[in-house]
Amino acid sequence: MGPERQHIVSSYDRELEGIQAMVMRMGGLVEVALSEATTALKTRDLELAEKVRKGDRVVDELNQAIKADAARLLALRAPAAVDLRTVLSVMEISSYLERCGDYAKNIAKRTMAMAGSNEIEGAMSGLVRMAKFVEAMVKDALDAYIQRDQEKAEEIIERDLEADQIYNTLFRSLLTHMMEDPRNIAAGMHLHFIAKNIERVGDHATGIAEQTIYLVSGVLPDDDRPKQDRTLTTLQEGDV
Amino acid sequence: MTDTAHPSGPSGKKNTADIVAASLKRRRRKQARLQWIGLGAISIAFVMLFILVASLLSTGWHAFTQTHLTLDVYVDPEEIREEKLPRGGFDDALGASLGAILPDADMEDRKTRKAVEGILSNGAQFELRDLVEADPSLIGQTITMTVPVSDPYDQLNKGLIKRDTPEENRRVKDREIAWFDALKEQGAISKPFNWALFTNADSRFPELAGLKGALVGSFWALLTCFLVSFPLGIGAAIYLEEFAPKNKLSDFIEVNINNLAAVPSVVFGLLALAVFIGWFGLPRSAPFVGGLTLALMTMPTIIIATRAALKAVPPSIREAALGIGASKQQMIFHHVLPLAAPGILTGTIIGLAQALGETAPLLLIGMNAFITSAASSPFESATALPTQIFIWADSPERGFVSRTSAAILVLLGFLVMMNAIAIYLRQKFERKW
Amino acid sequence: MTNMQKIERDIGITDTKISARNVNVHYGATHAIKDVNVDIADKTVTAFIGPSGCGKSTFLRCMNRMNDTIDICRVTGKIELDGRDINAKSVDPVQLRAQVGMVFQKPNPFPKSIYDNIAYGPRIHGLAKSKADLDEIVEKALRRGAIWDEVKDRLDQPGTGLSGGQQQRLCIARAVATEPEVLLMDEPCSALDPIATSQVEELIDELKQNYSVVIVTHSMQQAARVSQKTAFFHLGTLVEFGDTSQIFTNPTDPRTESYITGRIG
Repeated sequence: MGPERQHIVSSYDRELEGIQAMVMRMGGLVEVALSEATTALKTRDLELAEKVRKGDRVVDELNQAIKADAARLLALRAPAAVDLRTVLSVMEISSYLERCGDYAKNIAKRTMAMAGSNEIEGAMSGLVRMAKFVEAMVKDALDAYIQRDQEKAEEIIERDLEADQIYNTLFRSLLTHMMEDPRNIAAGMHLHFIAKNIERVGDHATGIAEQTIYLVSGVLPDDDRPKQDRTLTTLQEGDV
Repeated sequence: MTDTAHPSGPSGKKNTADIVAASLKRRRRKQARLQWIGLGAISIAFVMLFILVASLLSTGWHAFTQTHLTLDVYVDPEEIREEKLPRGGFDDALGASLGAILPDADMEDRKTRKAVEGILSNGAQFELRDLVEADPSLIGQTITMTVPVSDPYDQLNKGLIKRDTPEENRRVKDREIAWFDALKEQGAISKPFNWALFTNADSRFPELAGLKGALVGSFWALLTCFLVSFPLGIGAAIYLEEFAPKNKLSDFIEVNINNLAAVPSVVFGLLALAVFIGWFGLPRSAPFVGGLTLALMTMPTIIIATRAALKAVPPSIREAALGIGASKQQMIFHHVLPLAAPGILTGTIIGLAQALGETAPLLLIGMNAFITSAASSPFESATALPTQIFIWADSPERGFVSRTSAAILVLLGFLVMMNAIAIYLRQKFERKW
Repeated sequence: MTNMQKIERDIGITDTKISARNVNVHYGATHAIKDVNVDIADKTVTAFIGPSGCGKSTFLRCMNRMNDTIDICRVTGKIELDGRDINAKSVDPVQLRAQVGMVFQKPNPFPKSIYDNIAYGPRIHGLAKSKADLDEIVEKALRRGAIWDEVKDRLDQPGTGLSGGQQQRLCIARAVATEPEVLLMDEPCSALDPIATSQVEELIDELKQNYSVVIVTHSMQQAARVSQKTAFFHLGTLVEFGDTSQIFTNPTDPRTESYITGRIG
């Protein structure tokens, strides 16, 4: 099925390939942005953070270009079946990536805002570990999409549980730090938002994986996987 | 991707436009030559047609007028007695009246009297007889009659007998020319349109001979031909086109129908002679038999034309009718036949026109008999237009030369008319969808 | 599948109108249709799609026995209309075609007046008892054909003088004038411009209230637009038959997928 067979109209193939190439480029940019934002956070590199903040513009532009091309393709080619699913999933994935880009930008901005504030011991390493984990999810989700690999995509959805667990741990740790020393609160709040952003990126990686499954099988997986974000209850019981 | 095959664009050795331009002159020349050849062919055909019609007209137009003599006839009771009618010396009465107005005509001289009576057509005495018989009170009176003159004088009047020919080689002697000129001076000679050509039947005397018998005979023959061949031909065509299974047998029948259309007409004549006259004992020379014979020949033409017309009805119309739930018979009679009608009628008229001009089979069944009255039914003996032409062309009298041409012109006139009707029908009805 | 269709199916409104079992068609030595099984639902538009020569038109013509008119065509298998075998000896094709109307690829009005075009079917079947009756049938059919307003003032003018789209709607009106139960349409829009096509599609959508409509089309978009069920034919076999929305978003057979996405199949 799919790309191993070419359309009779070859320009149709070129357009479909073009739009997917744009998504891949966008995915690459977002991966780099996330990784650089993490580095900037870890090393308190304000220059790098500024670069990430500015770089998001390109991602936004790519998102718009993809949406425009997808709309044109829908109108002119009236795609059906796998082609229709390709265009629809490309639009979805583009939106996910655009938001991932926004989160990277947000991390960079918070990194700049945190300049000069207290360093919270231990929290940073957990945060970086989580960031690496989620970055890998995004990369693997994009790989699964390119390879039309449904198994890999399903595995990513499973991995999101782990990301949620890391976030829960981080949440407790930050809470503890802030309760121990009120001077940590400003940094703690920023770091928590960063953690939340990273957790959201993981959710979007899951979304990308779901789109891959839809593209391959034609069925969108039901959204009934167990939620591992336990912070809602933690707050109530965590008044240690 | 597929970027392998690029046309060798403007970088190629020579531009396509230049190559084409180089060959243009030659192509135009060839095309012009073709046009000229076509034009030449058409011109030759037209010249031939023109020569044919012109020669027919030049000899035939004389037959459309007839020299008449207006004469005061004294119906002499000495010669014509009421109690003896319809017998009597009508020729003598006419001769006497004519002799009275001619200069130097010694009517006592037998030879002179014979010559004077010879001025008038042989038919004149019968015309007089018919008048007197219808009204015996005319006996003893003087009546004014306009009667045709005999053939030599008609020829003289039309200039076909040259006055400068030596007298011994001339059918009209000097004395007779003098008489004729005298009559002309008196204003007794006229040359009106020759209605007799259409209202008289055949005659031994050219000045009396007409085409009525032939026209009526042709009419009866064509009527019989139409009544027989039209329904049979259409029936056969409908069966073959709409119902017959497509197999070897129907192919065989189709080939043979086409062959039948190409069989020489004389063969049909022999067939008719053997079958209709020999076996069935139908009368000889009858237009009915002629019509049957012509029907045999016309039928293949009608079948072929009808089949072509049926085939030309778009299949979409058939499908439309069947799709609504029409039966095959309803489809044919409600939709296909009405649409095919112009084509069928055209073919039929052309077939009948062919039949009208057909000679050989009619000769074989005896429709070239000498018959002096028009047939009142298709079972009486008659001639037809082409056989009449054949008879006249065989006759020795000078007067029949122009009559033959005139008869051909009449026949051609009918053919042109029938073809014109066919074209009119086609033009009027054939572009309906 | 829309919710409405789901509900309809659940409460069983859509019962089978035509059921075909093991239908095979031979044109001389050519095996044109191979073992086709399909159930055409009542009051539903069913689309037949597939590349040229795949047998979709041939199969359509089996359903009102139009193939009978072709000498070399042989149909085997069972096709039932409301549970009655249409190929049975006791069924006259004339009667069948009054029940199963047909609209053809090219608009084919008779070269007669608009009125006579519509009145022809009712007349030959004796559906009208009087002139007034016939007038009523004609008006009703033209209204159903969504062309009444355009032609009501010129019923005596030839049907061939109408535009292509009007002619096709006239032909549809002619087909519904005999009150058929099933309407077969063989590429009804292939000769029409987009506007006329839309009008005919709108009409098909209305017709499905009363009839079971089967449409053969080369335009997959048209099949997607007008039908609830789609059957994909390929090389004489029925490859896939299912809900139109499923066929067009997620076909199960790779041949269907290749065809509807415009890949070489």
